[in-house]
Amino acid sequence: MKTRLILVDDHAVVREALKQLLDAEPDLDVIGTADCGEAGLALAHRTRPDLVLLDISLPDADGLDLIASFLEHDSDTRVVMLSMHAEPEYAAAAVQRGACGLIPKSDSPASFLETLRHVAAGGTLHVDAGLSPRERDVLGELARGASNEEAAQALGLQPKTVEGYCQQLMQRLDVHTRVGLIHYARRIGL
Amino acid sequence: MVLADDHALVRAGVKALLASHGIDVVAEAGDGRALLREVRQHRPDVAVVDVSMPLLDGIEAARRIASWSPSTRVVVLTMHDDERFMARAMNAGVWAYVAKDEAIDRLVDAVHRVASGKRCLPENIEPLDDPLTTREREVLQLICEGKQNSDIAHIMSRSVNTVRAHRARLMRKLGVTSATELLNVAEKRGLLT
Repeated sequence: MKTRLILVDDHAVVREALKQLLDAEPDLDVIGTADCGEAGLALAHRTRPDLVLLDISLPDADGLDLIASFLEHDSDTRVVMLSMHAEPEYAAAAVQRGACGLIPKSDSPASFLETLRHVAAGGTLHVDAGLSPRERDVLGELARGASNEEAAQALGLQPKTVEGYCQQLMQRLDVHTRVGLIHYARRIGL
Repeated sequence: MVLADDHALVRAGVKALLASHGIDVVAEAGDGRALLREVRQHRPDVAVVDVSMPLLDGIEAARRIASWSPSTRVVVLTMHDDERFMARAMNAGVWAYVAKDEAIDRLVDAVHRVASGKRCLPENIEPLDDPLTTREREVLQLICEGKQNSDIAHIMSRSVNTVRAHRARLMRKLGVTSATELLNVAEKRGLLT
């Protein structure tokens, strides 16, 4: 039985590219596409797809916030997020909000299809825990331009502890300088 | 032609779509440096390049390509509707500029026109007074990606001293004294894609 999918992404190039990949698969059927959250929800309402492929950054809404709306409307629908970024943050947040997983656009086509089939068959993606709340706090301070001392004061920690978090984050995120961490923090919207 | 985009999924779909329009993608790349290697090897007629890629952004890659493989015409693909990028792209010798929220037909059209020798660029873009040289921009991107001088030297195939010199010069030009200030100014001035 074919899995019926809809694609929601504001970039036509992305929608067309993904549709092209999916059209080649006999068991996956793209029944519609939408370029924003509102159109996506309307489409889901009309067509009741098995699976919704939803981009995290849409012009009219935060993809993460939309997950609940899709599920509320039809609790059998499975939502898979699409993201420009592969950072574990997004995957953890998506699953927490009710998505079955997240596929970064940097994934290979083979991995993409495997994930979709896994979810269509009832599976969910196992995701990394993502950043701990404290790690997010420290990154948040760095994003604001705080020094270790300033961050420590703001968070009620010792400067040495903040330094420890920075080292830990650099290793986990494969970023080798403090500036790289700041850039990362700003990129993920902190 | 050669196709460069760091989103493998999008790249694969675009490749298949272009093939269905009779456009042959002979090589692909997931970052700016890999793109330069592929262009050097294949000398394609056209390169379709995403503006934001790791290690070397699409516009700087286009600039390099324009200088040593001028028969390769670059079409940039971008999410940004930002005039600053357009001006930079034009300065870099790009032949066409297509936004990702436009349909593939627009990209196919641009590739065909560019291949037949026509540029498709907007008419009334202000020329940009670019403060940085291409090498300085390359170093800037790598610093912001969190690379240390030794890594930057390795990626750019230059000595660490050369990297330090570029770094010092670019910081002086932007009027900053620390890497953090550098990041702030670069972000504010739209120097990072």
